[in-house]
Amino acid sequence: MGGGAMPQGGGPKRKRRALDANVNVVPAIDLLSCCISFLLFTAVWTQISRLQAAPMGTGSAVETLPTKSLTVTVMIGERGYVLATSAGAQIEIPLAGRSSDGAILYDLKGLTDRLKKLKAEFPDQAAITVAAEDAVLYADLVHTIDACVGAGLANVSVMGAG
Amino acid sequence: MPIVQPGKRPAKRFAASKVLGGKFVHGRRETNVDLNVVPMVDMMTMLVIFLLQQFSATGEVLYMTKDIKLPDARHGQQIEVMPVVAISSSQVVVSGQKVAEVSELEKDPSQIIAPLVEKLRDEKKRWDFIHQNDRDREKNWKGEVNVQADVKVPFRVVRRVMASAAEAGYGNVNFATVEESSAVAAAAAASRAVR
Repeated sequence: MGGGAMPQGGGPKRKRRALDANVNVVPAIDLLSCCISFLLFTAVWTQISRLQAAPMGTGSAVETLPTKSLTVTVMIGERGYVLATSAGAQIEIPLAGRSSDGAILYDLKGLTDRLKKLKAEFPDQAAITVAAEDAVLYADLVHTIDACVGAGLANVSVMGAG
Repeated sequence: MPIVQPGKRPAKRFAASKVLGGKFVHGRRETNVDLNVVPMVDMMTMLVIFLLQQFSATGEVLYMTKDIKLPDARHGQQIEVMPVVAISSSQVVVSGQKVAEVSELEKDPSQIIAPLVEKLRDEKKRWDFIHQNDRDREKNWKGEVNVQADVKVPFRVVRRVMASAAEAGYGNVNFATVEESSAVAAAAAASRAVR
């Protein structure tokens, strides 16, 4: 016989214990219902994040260590981005086009590529200044700051252009 | 009246009948029905796990209004509780109180918005009062303010808000954005690629 065979023999007959057990799941359902109610009441459906920036020339609270680094500036204007460094480089990144409603579309991918290249050349570089013209929309400013942070230039200062 | 078991009890004349009285039915039908609740428990467990993943201990820092549509960003940090300056296309609001009209700001050549500076100074005084017994009060002061602006607001308005915040002692500005999820990012990248 197989190893799992029940012992047979002439011993006294004992009442076998039932193998099937009923687990009472009602308390579990109660607990889960309470949890779901609480979590539904306290749920935050829109995930809001923040992009930190300091106004240029206002005595930022963020302390920056003096390091040998460039001064990198991204200017946002009507003609697109201009990426300038204190080393003398000035790269123009023209507009990607205009949307159907006439809004300016900036070439964010081009800017991100340039910034990543710059970060690869200067790994210690963390500071960047974003200079925007008055007519630039808040969304374009935020997308530019996001591109800078994404490229590893997290210490962003914002100022007006011109 | 005697207590009887629940179940089908036909009338006496039907009970005499072989067909209607159920004389052909052998054995009684079980009156207790077991409801299988295991799938329901599974579903509730999955719901709890999903809601726990969505749970945010910070709560709602910003009050979303219909006239302010936030831009999206991928590399944002978690938002913290700070004074909120909300800029819509028509007005500037600090902690629920209107401080300026955007149309009036366009006419005013000054770089500082005086009511905004005053309001933010009040907020700073309140913070100082709360932390008056804190030894590291100066060290703990971050000087951060959350700016919640509509996507269409021009930078000239945002710049003045930033200058006013800096004037009131808030040297760091946090731009509020909607976190762009990876799925949305992938969809946006795909649409860009199609263009």
